[in-house]
Amino acid sequence: MKLFMRMDEVLGKLGAFFRKVPYIGYSAFFILLLLIPYYHSTDVISSGQLGIFAYIVIITVAALGLNILLGYSGLISLGTAGFVGAGALGVGVFLELGLPFELAAIATLIVSTLIGALIGLFSLKVEGIYLAIATLFVGEILRQIFTTVPIFGGQSIMIGSVTLLGQFELSTFDQAQRRILFVVIAFLLLIMMIAMHHIVKSKTGRALLAMSRSSSAAQAMGISLMKYRLMAFSLATFFATFSGIMYALYNQSVPTTQWTLDLSLFIIAMVVVGGYKSIYGTFIGAFIIYGIPNLYLKELFGDVSFIFSGVLIILVILFYQNGVAYLATDIRLLYYKLKRHILGGARGKATDD
Amino acid sequence: MEKLLTIDHVSMTFGGLKALDDISFDIHQGEIVGLIGPNGAGKTTLFNCLTQFYKDYEGTFTLHGDTPVDLRDLKVTEVIDAGLARTFQNIELIPDLSILDNLLIGAHRSFKDSFAEELLKFPRALKEEKRLKEKADRVLDILGLQAIKDLYVKGQPYGILKRVEIARTLMSDPKLIILDEPAAGLNDVETDQLEQIIQLIQKELHVTLLIIEHDMGFVMNVCDRVCAINFGQFIAIDTPQKIQQNPAVQEAYLGRDDDA
Repeated sequence: MKLFMRMDEVLGKLGAFFRKVPYIGYSAFFILLLLIPYYHSTDVISSGQLGIFAYIVIITVAALGLNILLGYSGLISLGTAGFVGAGALGVGVFLELGLPFELAAIATLIVSTLIGALIGLFSLKVEGIYLAIATLFVGEILRQIFTTVPIFGGQSIMIGSVTLLGQFELSTFDQAQRRILFVVIAFLLLIMMIAMHHIVKSKTGRALLAMSRSSSAAQAMGISLMKYRLMAFSLATFFATFSGIMYALYNQSVPTTQWTLDLSLFIIAMVVVGGYKSIYGTFIGAFIIYGIPNLYLKELFGDVSFIFSGVLIILVILFYQNGVAYLATDIRLLYYKLKRHILGGARGKATDD
Repeated sequence: MEKLLTIDHVSMTFGGLKALDDISFDIHQGEIVGLIGPNGAGKTTLFNCLTQFYKDYEGTFTLHGDTPVDLRDLKVTEVIDAGLARTFQNIELIPDLSILDNLLIGAHRSFKDSFAEELLKFPRALKEEKRLKEKADRVLDILGLQAIKDLYVKGQPYGILKRVEIARTLMSDPKLIILDEPAAGLNDVETDQLEQIIQLIQKELHVTLLIIEHDMGFVMNVCDRVCAINFGQFIAIDTPQKIQQNPAVQEAYLGRDDDA
């Protein structure tokens, strides 16, 4: 029993510590990510697998943005893939115009986020299923633009090696440099995770939650629905575009055809399965939805990612709406319940005697 | 006594139904005014017009102060800046935030830091968060919620939720707090506690309160004056004892509530 008590105490203190200094958790997560290219260099992980991990890291950023929209603001978008594509292709176009990578990225982010804010105007008019339909078509329109408008270059845009900060030229076709690129995108993920943490644990995050949970209370407390709906869409678009830029940086060639509704649905699945409002959960969701089918199931069963994530999303919606991020909390609660049960039983016996 | 709010010939129609019919009365600085009436009398409609959730009413609400404000000129989100904070008949809290965070939502307009400062956790963002958390602590102390402030709202007993909602209104330094059925669904002990809390915040924080309530015992104990309305029409405003004896009020309630 004493051991139980001490474990509770340690767990409680540990939790409080991580809540107080969240940066330690995020940094530890970053260091764990860095182990992946290390294993890659020792050939435990193949080249293709490193690409899959990179994709998980990249798409997590888009899923984080969608989590702000879906988990915090209670709004839906089926056009996420369009904006990931806009980020990846946009940066390619600006690079072709001769801008340095950083400037190209900033220009892409500004243009794309403004478009996203415009889409946010839809949400002032319609909600729920109608918003889903409206954003679905935004995504489809963007996809059509990417595949038919000549500036995006037909099948794909070749970017070639990227020069960062004006001096570090990195090519994804060199194995050592690809590992460095992985470290760079992992670091960008770390920054975006911390940014999201700052946003959701502040006035803005609380306002977004208030808006989705009780619009009348939000208004009575002075929270403008218009301002925060536009904010939610702008943030989600910013994250999606950022994710696209990371894609362009790592892969250095961007196809025009893959930014379809399928991808938007996968990103939604990542949020739902990973856990609403959870930052780590979003990564876990991305790993489950994209990583598991491509890393493990593909060799055994072929491409079953749609079946796999489809079944998962149905299971989660039906039986575990919190998402896997809350498994640990729920297990702990169950443990407390069991313990009380056992201790209560023991006490009952003592009084019987 | 100084006037705080003047309700002047307010009417509101839903389709053909007159929910409010030419209501006029004053609320004075520092008093607790009860608003009573049978179900469907138009009490909540009056609240929703007052807090600008409904805009298409006739008449005016004037908030007195250094410069009198016609509340119609304010957006629903600006009413709180004028010093009006309200609760809701069905509790409208954010279930997946802690009690403390729910209070901070009440202080949303008091945060002076910008989004960029928040994103980069600049000193001012930290300072604002700290300042308003300290303020929340004081409110939590008054309402006896300090010990449970870090718990989620979800799963808390009804009496606590009602108290958190009142605490949230206090975060905006309101001049007038508008409570929609604060005692509904509370047991006797919780109702007694609520009476004490309301009297305490009136004394300590010098706020004025306007309260819709069906619990007549509560209204008699807490309110300085009581306004009765029925079918959207004004009946009387007077001290609780006199309202109790008012024949028109008795008629409105007859056969429904003998001790009213």
